[in-house]
Amino acid sequence: MSDEGSATPDPYQPPKDPPEGTGPPWEQPASGQPTYGQPPTGQPPYGQPAYGQPTYGGEPPPNYLVWAILSTIFCCLPLGIASIVFAAQVNSKWSAGDVAGAQDASRKAKQFAIWSAVAGAIIVAIYLVVVVVAVTSNS
Amino acid sequence: MTLVPTRSLASGPLLPARRGAALRRPAAVALVAVMVVLIVATVDPEESGHYPTCPFLALTGHWCPGCGSLRAIHALAHGQVATAASRNVLTVAALPLLGWLWLRWVGRSWRGEPRPQPARPVLVWALLALVLVFWLVRNLSVGAALAP
Repeated sequence: MSDEGSATPDPYQPPKDPPEGTGPPWEQPASGQPTYGQPPTGQPPYGQPAYGQPTYGGEPPPNYLVWAILSTIFCCLPLGIASIVFAAQVNSKWSAGDVAGAQDASRKAKQFAIWSAVAGAIIVAIYLVVVVVAVTSNS
Repeated sequence: MTLVPTRSLASGPLLPARRGAALRRPAAVALVAVMVVLIVATVDPEESGHYPTCPFLALTGHWCPGCGSLRAIHALAHGQVATAASRNVLTVAALPLLGWLWLRWVGRSWRGEPRPQPARPVLVWALLALVLVFWLVRNLSVGAALAP
């Protein structure tokens, strides 16, 4: 596993030290004042993202980790385990700069979340049918 | 996690109407969670026949990582933390994590912020390893204390 990107919470780390007085770039933009296209002087241009930073300003795809934990706890295996694997892949590929791979893993994680819910609903439905049949056949 | 530039760039103050809409989904999740806890607290999972048996347990005869979670939630709802931990310690440990993630989600929705940069991948892989080890050990004789 590469430590680049995963170990650094700030992936927009400039490859070289910024000039004195400009400060780190992540403190520059004020809320509500997008500075796209206006990089501060001395900062790396937006077209050259550092390794570990997929797209500047891009929102990472959801990894549905909560759904993975829930389906693991509430017993729809092995769907829960697969969900955790895809959730981990989303984070790994995103930090490695693989945007398409992260989005693909996110899509699979979502499918497994849906399948877990459907599987759980089917199991409960089958259980209810069995209980109802047992009760009606006994009486 | 520290702040990343995307957060301050893409976020802005939310109007009250949009803020209410953004909080709708966390509120719905909390409502469902409360209903589930109320049902599990009322309908005792310690008595057989109240809930379907875990499909993995029914098919293989072995515990799955989630076995005992309903009984753990039932015990927690009745304030019996030690009983809950003996049913499924992973569930007891996961609930504060889920609660923290939910609180973070509420805060993010309230401030109108986008999804933050993902957590370090090693943490998610460690979670997978933890679940798999827990799954194995609670089925061994040495890990009988972890069985429900």
